[in-house]
Amino acid sequence: MSPTVAAAGLARALAAIAGEAYATEDPARTTSFAIDEVVPRAAVEPGSAAEVAAVLQYAHARKLVVAPAGGFTHQHTGGIPERVDILLRTERLKAVEHYDPGDMMIGVGVGTTVAEVERKIGPHQQILPLETAQPERSTIGGALATATHGPLKHAYGGLRDYCTGVRFVTADGKIAKAGAKVVKNVAGYDLMKLLIGSYGTMAVITGASFKLFPRPPQMRTFVAQFARLAEAMTFRDHVLGSPLTPVCLELVSPHAQAIVAESFHPVSPNSGETRVGPPGETWRVLVRAAGSDRVLARYRAELGAAAAASEMGGDDEAQMWRSVAEFPHTLFERSRNAMLLRVDVALQDVAPMLEAAERAALDNSFLCAATGRIGVGSLLVGFAPIAVDPPSAMQYVNAVSYLRSMTPRDGSAIVLRCPLEAKRYFNVWGSTPNDIGTMKALKRAFDGEDILNRGRFLF
Amino acid sequence: MPRSRISEELREIAGAEAVLDGAEDLMLYEYDAGLSTGTPQWVVFPETTKQVSRIAQLASRMNVPLVPRGAGTGLSGGSIPRAGGIVLVFSRMTKILEIDAANRRAVVQPGVVNADLSAVVARHGLFFAPDPASQKASTIGGNVAENSGGPHTLAHGVTVNHITGLEVVLPDGGVVQMGGKAADSCGYDLTGLFVGTEGTVGIVTAITVKLTKVAEAVETLLAIFHTIDDAANAVASITAGGITPVALEMLDGKTLRCVEEATHAGYPMDSGAVLLIELEGLREAVTEQAEAVRAVCERHNAREMRRAANEQERQLLWKGRKTAFAALGRLAPAYYTQDGVVPRSHIAKVLRYIETVAQKCNLQIGNIFHAGDGNMHPCILFDMRDPDQVKRTHEAGRMILTYCVDCGGTITGEHGVGMEKNELMPLLFSEDDLEVMKWVHDAFNPKSVLNPQKLFPTPRSCRETNVAGGIGGSR
Amino acid sequence: MNPRGSNFTGPDRPTWDLYSKCIHCGLCLQQCPTYRVLGREADSPRGRIYQVLQVDAGRLRIGDSFVTHMDRCLGCRACETACPSGVQYGRILERARAEIESNYQRPWLERRLRDWFFTRVLHRRKGLERWAKWLRVYQRSGLQKVARASGMLKLLGLDKVEALAPQVDRAFFFPHLGMLYPAEGEVRGRVLFHVGCIASVAFTGLNEATVRVLNKNGFEVFIPRAQRCCGALQAHAGYREEAQRMARRNLRAFLEPNRDAIITNSAGCSAMMKEYGDLLQDNPKYGEHGRDVASKVKDVTEFLAEAGLRPPQRRLKARVTYQDPCHLAHAQKVRSAPRELLKALGAELVEMAHPDYCCGSAGTYNVTQNELSMKILEQKMDEVTQTRAEIIATANTGCMLQLRAGVKARGLNARVAHVIELLNEAYEDPPAAAEEQHSRHRRKRASHVPSS
Ligand SMILES: Cc1cc2nc3c(=O)[nH]c(=O)nc-3n(C[C@H](O)[C@H](O)[C@H](O)COP(=O)(O)OP(=O)(O)OC[C@H]3O[C@@H](n4cnc5c(N)ncnc54)[C@H](O)[C@@H]3O)c2cc1C
Ligand code: SF4
Ligand code: SF4
Repeated sequence: MSPTVAAAGLARALAAIAGEAYATEDPARTTSFAIDEVVPRAAVEPGSAAEVAAVLQYAHARKLVVAPAGGFTHQHTGGIPERVDILLRTERLKAVEHYDPGDMMIGVGVGTTVAEVERKIGPHQQILPLETAQPERSTIGGALATATHGPLKHAYGGLRDYCTGVRFVTADGKIAKAGAKVVKNVAGYDLMKLLIGSYGTMAVITGASFKLFPRPPQMRTFVAQFARLAEAMTFRDHVLGSPLTPVCLELVSPHAQAIVAESFHPVSPNSGETRVGPPGETWRVLVRAAGSDRVLARYRAELGAAAAASEMGGDDEAQMWRSVAEFPHTLFERSRNAMLLRVDVALQDVAPMLEAAERAALDNSFLCAATGRIGVGSLLVGFAPIAVDPPSAMQYVNAVSYLRSMTPRDGSAIVLRCPLEAKRYFNVWGSTPNDIGTMKALKRAFDGEDILNRGRFLF
Repeated sequence: MPRSRISEELREIAGAEAVLDGAEDLMLYEYDAGLSTGTPQWVVFPETTKQVSRIAQLASRMNVPLVPRGAGTGLSGGSIPRAGGIVLVFSRMTKILEIDAANRRAVVQPGVVNADLSAVVARHGLFFAPDPASQKASTIGGNVAENSGGPHTLAHGVTVNHITGLEVVLPDGGVVQMGGKAADSCGYDLTGLFVGTEGTVGIVTAITVKLTKVAEAVETLLAIFHTIDDAANAVASITAGGITPVALEMLDGKTLRCVEEATHAGYPMDSGAVLLIELEGLREAVTEQAEAVRAVCERHNAREMRRAANEQERQLLWKGRKTAFAALGRLAPAYYTQDGVVPRSHIAKVLRYIETVAQKCNLQIGNIFHAGDGNMHPCILFDMRDPDQVKRTHEAGRMILTYCVDCGGTITGEHGVGMEKNELMPLLFSEDDLEVMKWVHDAFNPKSVLNPQKLFPTPRSCRETNVAGGIGGSR
Repeated sequence: MNPRGSNFTGPDRPTWDLYSKCIHCGLCLQQCPTYRVLGREADSPRGRIYQVLQVDAGRLRIGDSFVTHMDRCLGCRACETACPSGVQYGRILERARAEIESNYQRPWLERRLRDWFFTRVLHRRKGLERWAKWLRVYQRSGLQKVARASGMLKLLGLDKVEALAPQVDRAFFFPHLGMLYPAEGEVRGRVLFHVGCIASVAFTGLNEATVRVLNKNGFEVFIPRAQRCCGALQAHAGYREEAQRMARRNLRAFLEPNRDAIITNSAGCSAMMKEYGDLLQDNPKYGEHGRDVASKVKDVTEFLAEAGLRPPQRRLKARVTYQDPCHLAHAQKVRSAPRELLKALGAELVEMAHPDYCCGSAGTYNVTQNELSMKILEQKMDEVTQTRAEIIATANTGCMLQLRAGVKARGLNARVAHVIELLNEAYEDPPAAAEEQHSRHRRKRASHVPSS
């Protein structure tokens, strides 16, 4: 069968599965779903796992390329698709599948936004420590597919640590699941790990279960500022070596500070932030502590004068963290032509990587703005052009290749987002992992026809 | 190829001393800590990744089953050569290859004993967090294969949360490096996928583990209750109340009495149940949480609260817990431990059900378990000389696990499926679910050379023929 | 093979009740010295028990393989400490070894040597005395040097073993038999002392120290003349009947009313004597006596720690590490007593990583399984070295010999001493008794000599 199904035929077939209202190939709508300017031929919004399965069976039989999509907050990531036949929107998969506050577990459809989950569990003083940018748009499915994380990763780990079960549909349309709705389970293979961070190339996730955590009744943040990165790192090692157990340990680079400040609107005019020096000059290490007054007093004592001098609490503190989490989004609000990388390295490689990033930026007329979970080695490194004119593609390429040349063997530097022109010149995923052969074998086993997000992943 | 040729090749690969093939030696690898048995034809003790790789090639070429084995403390028959073949024992791969305290990582060979690693890194104020009750004997390779948990899983997570990199030998002899020291890596999370595969997709030859900082303060409390129900309700209230103990364990009255005889840990002999609760962290926080826990327990009619006054008392309380399973061995010559997990709010209900099963099947069942996780460990006592008891034991196990699944739970929280629960997998998973898992299996281990007939239910058509299985039938 | 029934033959065989307590959980594996060195299930407690089970089931012969693995067991009983299921491994082992002795033909020379040592040398004082004198002649006459230099020992495969033989004392302890040593100061109790056979010929000083320390602490010590070797070495080697014979003799010697305790300074001896009840359980006449005597046996460190030390005059200003003798820690669960005594002396106690791991001595083991024993000792010395201790204290003569060999091999500058020796040095004699210091003991013939 030819891969190009008659246009009207495709929409009709999808409408037959999901309903008239939920399938379209009207360019007026499909253009808004373009991925790297590649406009999908049709878009469909299935209302259930069964409908997702039917769509995939249909596509699989015809070798149509399917791109699953949630809130479109992460679609910039990945290689430029050759084509997208069906954009599979998860919008309608919003059911709360299970939630018993007493068990501290929740299961939701992947179309649920992060904010919706937060609203559901908030009243029970529980949290899902995901903390993505754009929670109102970002969906659970998107978060899983991209293994996204926020500052809370320091204490709570990543999605791989608290997602306990997934429901999904395979490329050939099988409805399947793995894991369970309880906190602990080793029955069967841990396919959650395979699907989290697979960027929609293995299967279409339809639902997932998560461990929840109690919301700490009181939190405060200590802001330590340093003229030099090395000093900030020494401070980090001091905190890591101390008995303290902060919930976040975040670095904000001088330029990132300016970007974070952009979305930070202090609630109280006399907020702690006013005591913090002007943005753009210091490396800041934010230590977020949870606990009673006595516990906080202990933090002050352990952290020393530098950090204890400026601290924040209450709504301002929450606001400030919100804006740190928004950094990957605000960066582009401020600078359309920016580039963002996700850098994962061992703890002692954090400083060399940040230095390399500063260097790469300087040499190619960018400002480097970075935030990151420096206690676990997960960084977000932004490059914002200095000049008014858009930089040339080569500037991006040079910056990235320099940074990659400085990346240790077991580390990674993935370009999460950059201008399309630049993307044409490099592989956003970076160097080939050691185990790529095994990954390919798995991809073949799951999606032999390569219909899911073809061309966008590593291979 | 005749048996002797394989023996010869194995000796050539691993050295003459490192291969066993006499009946008197082989029978010592036909058991683990569970109930199943199966005798290998060869036992090999490799020393290097290269040897493991060559042995895997040989096994693949000859189509001989290959079964990795750590310390043999598994409770689901994972290391039993069900279809005969070669058992690969890691007791000569016990080196700690690297301690990288600055990065909070260590690289170890699979035969390193769990507790030994923690002992060695203690001088850096670090430890390896997964703490299965078998930690003094079980190997990190085995922990990785089973994705083992332990009492402190509640706060620290299970093994997979502490592994960032693996070196794996595939059944065809290929050596793959997965992940590394960084917490996340590019591409699929093969490390995460691999942990918990029970030796059915690859053989681990090196492991990069996270090391965790030893907490400043620890408080260990023993809450004593008249009834199991009160204890169970207290568990739900503690976790729901925003208190996060690092460990929250329950022992029922029957178990208590055995444990007390075995360890003299000071457990009360006459109570309905106790909770062993541990809090860890900043001194100030721990003190406050301990007060909160005390209040919750008292609200649930705790008869008495005890507190370990020093490290010695704490160790004693834990010794009681860690040896609890085996202490039940005092009551009967054998026991069958179940490992179901249920949502925490169902614990009281499930315990009541277990009691009715015990009565119905006329068996003794003790309960020691990770209550904070809802990970139930009903321990069914029996005498294997009595075939009827054995039958009732299996029946009771099945009833309990079915009930756990009906409550929204699972059939195994940490001991693995192996060959003791593989036929129960359909309770939890549909044929499609299992088929998709089989894709993973076949991508790595297409000929089922590695640890065959485990984890997946036997296909209906094969059930008869499998009994003779592999070249094991020729012995 | 015997598919129909057990390959055990004796009445005193390992029984289902004993070995079925093992639920093959494996928690004992790493505690077993032979498993730690060899990494083989067959040389682990769980594996040994499984082999016993298979012999009983008729699936395994009492042949070379079984005997090899049972011989390799140190009998240290660390596995009992580790075992949560309460397996009485020591009992299983002794019975299995007795079965081996009656059902297995060892090579001729080995058999004769074993018979000679276990039933002749140890049997009576005379035998022991003769053997010890010969050994003394050998060690002091220069013959030892000749033998070493000539390489003769190496040829016989005895060179390593010879280094472990006790250095025989100039004067034996035998003359003290039948003596009564009065308590100093207020009398706190009256005890009997079992002198131990090897100790009497090679650790005379230790025995004297034991008596003196007890006296200093207000205990009157009587040393029954008719006592024999405790029987431990025999029982561990499978000479169960010989051990029972020794036990019966000792019952007669030690069945003294009005004595508070029976003291030994060798953990192997006290462990054995505490088990006389089990050893003689099938004997209607002696079973009960066995239990009576057993209940009074105390290791000297245990006894003194319970009674409470009279404060010694001198303090021990040294860095000390303490090696738990297996038969004290594992068989008798005495761990804190010797440490308390050391602390009472003011010593700086530094623990090694695994103080209760066996040193590899294990009675005659370092002789019969020399190579393995030396490997185990290697691991022990690694840990000892790390403590940088000046004194390695322990509480058993066998361990002292082994540790001395280890110290020598490494060229360490450390002293190996019994806890009691250290105590002895801390007690000064009162000035009044100064002139008596040379004789060290005020002895008195016992007014009554118990019948033998
Ligand atoms: C008393 C007792 C208490 C226990 N408590 C707990 C507990 O609290 N929590 C818990 O989770 N478990 C517990 N267990 C179960 C068991 O100890 C764990 O599953 C342990 O991780 C097994 O380790 P092992 O070295 O003994 O592995 P084995 O039993 O030898 O093997 C287990 C599995 O791992 C595979 N394997 C071993 N090495 C490798 C390798 N290098 N590469 C690939 N596969 C390999 C084997 O094939 C097998 O499938 C307990 C067991 C006992 C007897
Ligand atoms: S007695 Fe010692 S050597 Fe023998 S099995 Fe037990 S632990 Fe091992
Ligand atoms: S610890 Fe006890 S029950 Fe467990 S294997 Fe060892 S001897 Fe058997």
